[in-house]
Amino acid sequence: MPWVKGEEFVDLKQRFEGLEIEEKPTLTTLQVPKAKLIDLLKTLKEEKGYKLFLDHSVVDFPDKRPRFQAFYTLYNVEEKKRVLVKTWTDGLLPSIEKLWFAGKWAERECYDMFGIQYEGHENLVRAFMWETYQHYPLRKDFPLEGYATEYLPSLNETLWGENLQGLMNYDRMHTQVPTLEDLEITERRRLQKKAQIVLNWGPLHPGTHGTMWFLFDLEGERVYQCDVILGQLHRGVEKLAENEMYNQFLVYTDRMDYLSALCSNQAWVVAVERLLGIEELVPEKAKYIRTMMAELQRINSHLLWLGAYALDLGALTIFLYAFKEREKLMDIIEGITGARLTISYTRVGGVRMDLPEGAVEVIRAFVKRFPKELKEWETILSRNRIWLRRNVGVGVISKEDVYFYGLTGPVARGSGVPYDLRKFEPYDAYGWVDFDVPVGESGDVYDRYLVRLEEMRQSLRIVEQCLHALEKMPKDAPFFAESPDPKKLKLPLDGIGLKVPEGEIYSSGENPRGELGFYIYSTGGVKPYRVKIRPGSMYNLCVYPKLMKDRVVADAVTILASLDPVVGEIDR
Amino acid sequence: MEGLIVWLIITLVKILVILGIVLGVGAYLTLVERKVAAHIQRRPGPMVVGWHGLLQPLADGIKLLTKEDLFPRYGNRFLYNLALVMALVPATLVFAVVPFGPEFKVFGVEVKPILTDVNVGLLLVFALGSMAVFAIALAGWASNSKYALIGSMRKAGIVVSYEVVITFAVMGPIILAGTLSTYEIVQKQIEQELWYIWLQPLAFVVYMFALLAETGRVPFDVQEAEAELVTGFTVEYGGMKFGLFPLVEWYIEVLSLSAIAVVLFLGGWSPINIPFLGFVDPLFFLGPLSPFVWFILKVSLLFLFVLWLHWTLPRYRIDQITETAWKVMLPLTFVNLVLTAVIAPVLWG
Repeated sequence: MPWVKGEEFVDLKQRFEGLEIEEKPTLTTLQVPKAKLIDLLKTLKEEKGYKLFLDHSVVDFPDKRPRFQAFYTLYNVEEKKRVLVKTWTDGLLPSIEKLWFAGKWAERECYDMFGIQYEGHENLVRAFMWETYQHYPLRKDFPLEGYATEYLPSLNETLWGENLQGLMNYDRMHTQVPTLEDLEITERRRLQKKAQIVLNWGPLHPGTHGTMWFLFDLEGERVYQCDVILGQLHRGVEKLAENEMYNQFLVYTDRMDYLSALCSNQAWVVAVERLLGIEELVPEKAKYIRTMMAELQRINSHLLWLGAYALDLGALTIFLYAFKEREKLMDIIEGITGARLTISYTRVGGVRMDLPEGAVEVIRAFVKRFPKELKEWETILSRNRIWLRRNVGVGVISKEDVYFYGLTGPVARGSGVPYDLRKFEPYDAYGWVDFDVPVGESGDVYDRYLVRLEEMRQSLRIVEQCLHALEKMPKDAPFFAESPDPKKLKLPLDGIGLKVPEGEIYSSGENPRGELGFYIYSTGGVKPYRVKIRPGSMYNLCVYPKLMKDRVVADAVTILASLDPVVGEIDR
Repeated sequence: MEGLIVWLIITLVKILVILGIVLGVGAYLTLVERKVAAHIQRRPGPMVVGWHGLLQPLADGIKLLTKEDLFPRYGNRFLYNLALVMALVPATLVFAVVPFGPEFKVFGVEVKPILTDVNVGLLLVFALGSMAVFAIALAGWASNSKYALIGSMRKAGIVVSYEVVITFAVMGPIILAGTLSTYEIVQKQIEQELWYIWLQPLAFVVYMFALLAETGRVPFDVQEAEAELVTGFTVEYGGMKFGLFPLVEWYIEVLSLSAIAVVLFLGGWSPINIPFLGFVDPLFFLGPLSPFVWFILKVSLLFLFVLWLHWTLPRYRIDQITETAWKVMLPLTFVNLVLTAVIAPVLWG
């Protein structure tokens, strides 16, 4: 387990009055009064080496006083240890933006979702909702269906009014939606014009890879300042998680990072398994299958990134080459799981079904021919003079920036931080297979490109080893966890009856876009009390305004594509 | 009097033939481009309309012509439409001075297959080329869109830079030939038994670079960079008005500049050249048609080369393009100019 031992913090007990250290099998927490919070975090960052900021959010307890429990997840990259810092508040917290910039975005999200005020936050604006929205959706007293005070009627409603017949005549409850005026107010809150023109880049723009809304304040073609408006794809996944059973929530993880659904599935079920304490019970075969499928999905996701990235830089042909290979992967995944995009293949305790006949051979054929294709593309791009001039030295992220902005995944590795959860906290079969973690040197866009290409090769290595292990297993090996006592632990497919004990856990998986973490707070029962998702894409994106400063518009696509955000995961 | 009538008839026929060829071929080059791109990308390309998609340009044309004519709010309608004319007319006019072949006789009348053999033909070409920048600047301005404005400013920057480069690049062949008339330049190359590319390789490379930049082809297609500027200055145009800009930029201009390149560097309609020794014509069996076929072959090869680059390379950034123009290309053309000025008198002094 990567959680720190409690005894390491005994010396802090004298310095911080009221510090409580709690060590559970799932995580280690430090609880501290609000007044001491900033000091403690600073000590952890500067003296104890917990430099990488992972996550921050709050849990709402409407019946308790103070009402909100805030938590901060930190990581010590050198010693490979995690710690969770907790504090209680009634709606006011000190801001940590001086310690970690990523905290600024996390705080904006908490302000948006819970109405927490932050002292010393420079720009406390809503993260996802628009500025004129009155409510705080993740509070427990916010109804699941939203408030039907104001809404845009559908075309049918406008035409037929109350005369809608049959299925159309449902009880029309709408969540409030922003009008054009609301959006203009939001836009003005986000960016004060200082240079020549403000260019609205998005929300519907081919360069943003999704519905993100960027504001560029341009001086000629030079970006003077830049801001991001999120929330175009906000669906309240965390709110939904509180109202779904553990296995039911699995399908929502598909729809977060829709390009790497299998990896998200895996991260979620591993988190639930750890919370249940049945990680050991999951059969070896299921673990190998999960690992192999996740790695295929990683290649799939990186292929889409490569295609879109080359397209952004004008190399149109690579896009089609990459998509051709991706199509084959999609076919393989479809043949095994039955779905192409939103897959939901894994289950708590195993996988939904065994590998079909011939799957191993098909994957073997793919593994054999894919490196040749990869080499061909590299011939076109990697040493291409134009490609180098567009990429080298653009969007440089230093190691300190990685910690300061909470970057993970290939973005962090491109800057030379070997942070890979598959190595640090091996889940499923990652502990049993052999692979390398590629890291970059200078941290520019070109390094991130090379890292991702190499990751595809390493993924192939993992897939090969998984295939080897799977072939050796007997055909009727179990692919689903079975309890030693058949009456005690039942893990039916639909998830009903999956009773999870009280407890909390922060568990994460290595997604193609960074660390996808789940903080699950369970009060027992079939539904989680609170699920905080740590989206890799969102924290990776928070470095974007900094990188864009004093760059030209043409670099906007280069840098954005190299951070590779997926809006479904950012907005959730 | 009779001479005037004959001249008028001949000129009218020439205009009709050239216009028909340019616009018809321009439309069909869209199909060529799509097919070439498709095969580079390992897919079949248009296959449905007609045999191997042969009627696809027709279908595209009908689709574009029947589309709604949209106009951006607060745009300038006069300039918006003027930009179209400014784009199409100069690009087509360049063909007035392109010689397609040697003089021949029809019904006892001597006909030069060139619309007007003015003695400042090349000057006309580059004067008309400079007009293209107006079309783009006007289109960007009149559209009342930030994307269009940025795109047109980028393109204007490129055209202005490369206009200088291209003018200095063609200076070499002009010195060697001692004339500005396109027809005469080809004649000189045939007389001297020398394609000027053998003496002017540097100028040829620079010319091809400038051709790509002026026509907005990859790797210089920053003005329409679809990922960052959607499609640049054409973003507010719809229907055939939208179709016209790529038609002019990507096909007619590439075609005309390739034809000029063939005239200047590749000996126009002359067959394969062995420097200073003579010409070898593997197409001798075509008889009097052979020069025309050679001309078309050379232009097509250059066009295919442009397509090949377009569908292979990524694109530069605008600052890198203009930097290359001023810091690399222009000094190179100066060097070339000086060398030519020294060599030419030595050879034919």
